[in-house]
Amino acid sequence: MKIGAMFTDVVSSLFKKPVTEKYPHERYEVPKRFRGRLDWNAENCTGCGICAMDCPANAIEMIVIDKKEKRFVLQYHIDRCTFCAQCVHSCNHGCLVMRADDWELAALNRKFYTKWFGELSDVEYVLAESA
Amino acid sequence: MGAKMQTNKTDGKFTVPIGPQHPALKEPAFFSINVDGEIVTNAYVRLGYAHRGIEKAAEDRNWVQTLYLLERICGICSHIHSTAYCLGVEKLAGMEVPPRAQAIRVLVAELERIHSHLLWLGVASHEAGFDTLFMYSWRDRETVMDILEGLTGNRVNYSANLLGGVKYDIDSAQADSIRQGLEFLQERLNYYLGIVTSDALFLKRTRGIGRMTRNQAEVLGAVGPTARASNVARDIRIEAPYSAYEHFHVSIILETNGDLEARFVVRIKEMLESCRLINEILDSLPEGELVMRMKRRINPGETVVRVEAPRGELFYFIKSNGTDKPERIKVRTPTICNMSSVVKLAIGSQLADVPVILAGIDPCFSCNDRSVHIDHRSSKTCRWTWEELRKYGIRYYNGDHS
Amino acid sequence: MEIIRNLFVLLIFPGGLFLLAAGMFYEWVDRKLLSQYQNRIGPRWFQPLADAVKLLANEEVIPEGSNPTLFIVLPVVALAGGITAALYVPMAGFPPAFSFAGDLIVTIYLLSLLTLCMGLAGANTMNRFSLVGATRTLTQLFSYEAPFLLALLGPALAAGSWQISEISAYTTQRWLLFTQPLGFIVALIGLMGKLELPPFDAPEAETEIVAGALTEYSGRGLALFRLGKGVEMVVGLTLIAVFYLGGVSNPLYFLLKTLALLLVVAGLQALLARLRIDQTVGLWWRYGVLLVLVQWLFMIGGRMVL
Repeated sequence: MKIGAMFTDVVSSLFKKPVTEKYPHERYEVPKRFRGRLDWNAENCTGCGICAMDCPANAIEMIVIDKKEKRFVLQYHIDRCTFCAQCVHSCNHGCLVMRADDWELAALNRKFYTKWFGELSDVEYVLAESA
Repeated sequence: MGAKMQTNKTDGKFTVPIGPQHPALKEPAFFSINVDGEIVTNAYVRLGYAHRGIEKAAEDRNWVQTLYLLERICGICSHIHSTAYCLGVEKLAGMEVPPRAQAIRVLVAELERIHSHLLWLGVASHEAGFDTLFMYSWRDRETVMDILEGLTGNRVNYSANLLGGVKYDIDSAQADSIRQGLEFLQERLNYYLGIVTSDALFLKRTRGIGRMTRNQAEVLGAVGPTARASNVARDIRIEAPYSAYEHFHVSIILETNGDLEARFVVRIKEMLESCRLINEILDSLPEGELVMRMKRRINPGETVVRVEAPRGELFYFIKSNGTDKPERIKVRTPTICNMSSVVKLAIGSQLADVPVILAGIDPCFSCNDRSVHIDHRSSKTCRWTWEELRKYGIRYYNGDHS
Repeated sequence: MEIIRNLFVLLIFPGGLFLLAAGMFYEWVDRKLLSQYQNRIGPRWFQPLADAVKLLANEEVIPEGSNPTLFIVLPVVALAGGITAALYVPMAGFPPAFSFAGDLIVTIYLLSLLTLCMGLAGANTMNRFSLVGATRTLTQLFSYEAPFLLALLGPALAAGSWQISEISAYTTQRWLLFTQPLGFIVALIGLMGKLELPPFDAPEAETEIVAGALTEYSGRGLALFRLGKGVEMVVGLTLIAVFYLGGVSNPLYFLLKTLALLLVVAGLQALLARLRIDQTVGLWWRYGVLLVLVQWLFMIGGRMVL
């Protein structure tokens, strides 16, 4: 039975640097597999919509303008996303990826949180339709 | 003057309410403790503040979406909840998961066990007043979280499971970094084991406090490390091995004293055992694929799954009716079983020991959900049994909305 | 002339503003040292000042069922007791502002007045937590007061006087730390009991009884109690430095000696777990009194022999 069993550890801490990470002045590197914001590569997309069906938070909406011509628009709600990466694995063609470099997603207005993916003309078409 | 000073005096004892908001609790719960001076004479617990209707919400989502819903029942035992669900659904669908995926599932589960026990070590020593051990054990917990972040991409809520396998693979570079982290952890864990069993003032707060005999543990239905500290040899990984535990064996950790010190010792030794098991898995990881393709509609049937969460035995009942949405999922978490032991052990001890006894069972209140029926008109509250709820439901859906 | 000097002493130095600033500074050093022992970054230098300013800006809520006059007056009396005690102690290396025979007892009594006021403040409300906290505060006051007093009277006996300025003159020539080591240990640990620092923080145990006796306080009352605690720390450390560490003859020695003591006190805070209230009382009435009586035996025996 010792009084003060942590003595050596506590006293030697006087001479060590604190382990606190001084975010945001110092940032550590994030690992490659970190699940940040979603990104969509339209090349291989067939418009099947499994990603939208499997999302647990209904954060993805697949809007099909023309299936034969492969004109799709993806609406992604960043504020609903739980960053689970199920859509990445549900997609059979590898169109989706979660970026490890974009994870500081705080914003001051709501508009930042709805992201539209697709050709610019398609996106404008969809927005004009819904207006 | 204002109102006269009134304490809730019944026979000269008064009631100290712990909760629903209290610095000793990390989540809301209500304990009503009657004290006489500093000695506790009666204790009463009431739960249900973290009820979110998850079991009902699962009926509206398809099988894949439910996986992520159930993962968020608890923050620190998230992987074991999703593992239990996956095991049940795969059993219903008649699928066999490839061995490499099973081994990686077990590896992440053991890492999660280390994470959960380190978090508990900090919280329990904070409740006992030993803040330094709290800060040091949480500093070392960052090592485990960094390992998990490199492996799965997130520090909590790892989402490593898919229906039919796992998402992420382990290559040799990652295996090396895991081994390095575990070496550091093993050294620190041995140090903490020494402190917990030899620091004089800490032992004054934990030795002999909250002693539960083996008979009491069996009668009260305690599970997990709480029961193993009272010499009850119950561990689902050994009695009914699931997934890769059939190939990688775990040895049981038992202590005979049954007091708080024994619970500390059991959890630290379990962490050391997990480190050994992870090293063994990394050395002999079977080859194979990571995931099997699962159908979207699961065969009808019912199944029962029991796994060993960090807190004890976790029990899932899954019922399917052939569609792509589950019909009924029932979750029974280990904290509910241990809660009755808190109430029993608190009586007769001192008021200052009640938070430490509560922390000793490693409570996870967000896992407990029970619902309370509040009748607006008569302003009575009572707890509904399943029968009453069923009758109410039948009346309601027949049009009687009274 | 006298009136201006007295006002200056009461409001600026060594009472009033200087003491409040010193109290906040020492609270910051204590928290920063504690965090360094725990391997983390602590608060920045203006944290206690920011706390005090924010609390003074908060609304003060007087709970139902308590006596409003007592509720408002008790923090003021507590802080006043702390500031008055500082007038008799050689603060910052300068001789005490006022001095008369027997002022050691008055100083110690005024320091206990602060703890007593906190206990009464807790008993004043209907809140269960503050009642339990008040009971514990008064129990702890009862337990460490006797050994702490005896430990401070040891140097008084050696100096042959009960006046702090004379004791200070006696100890400037010799360090009583070496001739009365047991008394020093009891005095230092007794100071930790008086200030309710871990391991003796059962009266304000955050995880058991929220905030103990001060649970119902907010706004100005809480700010005054916290400032009073800071002042108590400064006065207590100065007393021990004067008695055992060879007096404080100039400001540099004052700073060095009190900060050295604070280093040891913060280390003990980091190292030890919290004791239950019954264990605290048992510890003090068994070992505390025993140690200090053994010290007195040696001291009196030594005087008779030499």
